[in-house]
Amino acid sequence: MNDFLSSLKVAASGLHAQTARMRVIAENLANADSTGKTPGSDPYLRQIPTFKTVFDSEVGGYEVQLGAVSHDQSAVESRYEPGHPAADAKGFVKYPNINPLIESMDMSAAQRTYQANLNVVSVTRQMLTRTLDILKG
Amino acid sequence: MGIGDMPLLAALRDKMHWHQARQMLLAENVANADTPGYRGRDLKPFEPAEQVGQRLAMQVSAGASNPMYIPLGGGTSPEFAVQQGTGFEVTPEGNDVNLEDEMMKVASNQMDYQAVTTLYSRSLQMIRTAIGRSA
Repeated sequence: MNDFLSSLKVAASGLHAQTARMRVIAENLANADSTGKTPGSDPYLRQIPTFKTVFDSEVGGYEVQLGAVSHDQSAVESRYEPGHPAADAKGFVKYPNINPLIESMDMSAAQRTYQANLNVVSVTRQMLTRTLDILKG
Repeated sequence: MGIGDMPLLAALRDKMHWHQARQMLLAENVANADTPGYRGRDLKPFEPAEQVGQRLAMQVSAGASNPMYIPLGGGTSPEFAVQQGTGFEVTPEGNDVNLEDEMMKVASNQMDYQAVTTLYSRSLQMIRTAIGRSA
């Protein structure tokens, strides 16, 4: 199967992957201030989405899929807040390693790729319509 | 012989297949634009079916680098045929996927496809005219 419908399916896989990426970014932004509850506990760790290429034998082409979502390895931020329920013995609280600027840049990149995939979908649909126009003569 | 087997229409049909296959590869490139290690792919430029599918008869003969050598004669038939596949060859793009370039390729693919489909329906109109129906 190597026709316009396959192209549409491949582009749709791109849309899916970018949507999943947006969801992970939204989770990161929403949890930018999520600390632990008990003294010295770990905060929310930034999640990083990964993509992988998979061959779909039904479509006969390489689609994209969201791979494993792993944690950011960078160090968490410590702030001095002695009264916080998650403060350790010295009064430091661990805050998530999330930089809103990086997340919003990631979001723009995801949006741009999403639009590109959407463009492929609409162009493919127009080409399909042109094929059907041959029937009308 | 069906109408679709006429050389002109068959060539246009091949060209439409080529554009379909290319659209597929471009969709793959765009979908995998953010996948690490993915190499973009594209089709080789389209060649008309007369050149792609034809059996090419090639001549081969032993040359002599010095006129004093005794020339090789006769022996096996110097002709052999090279069968080329009718499938379209896929070439790696060499560098990473660039979304802007891919968008340009998608747009040009669409425009060329429109040109081919217009030519196809015009050819059908000509046939209709030839058999006496006003288009």
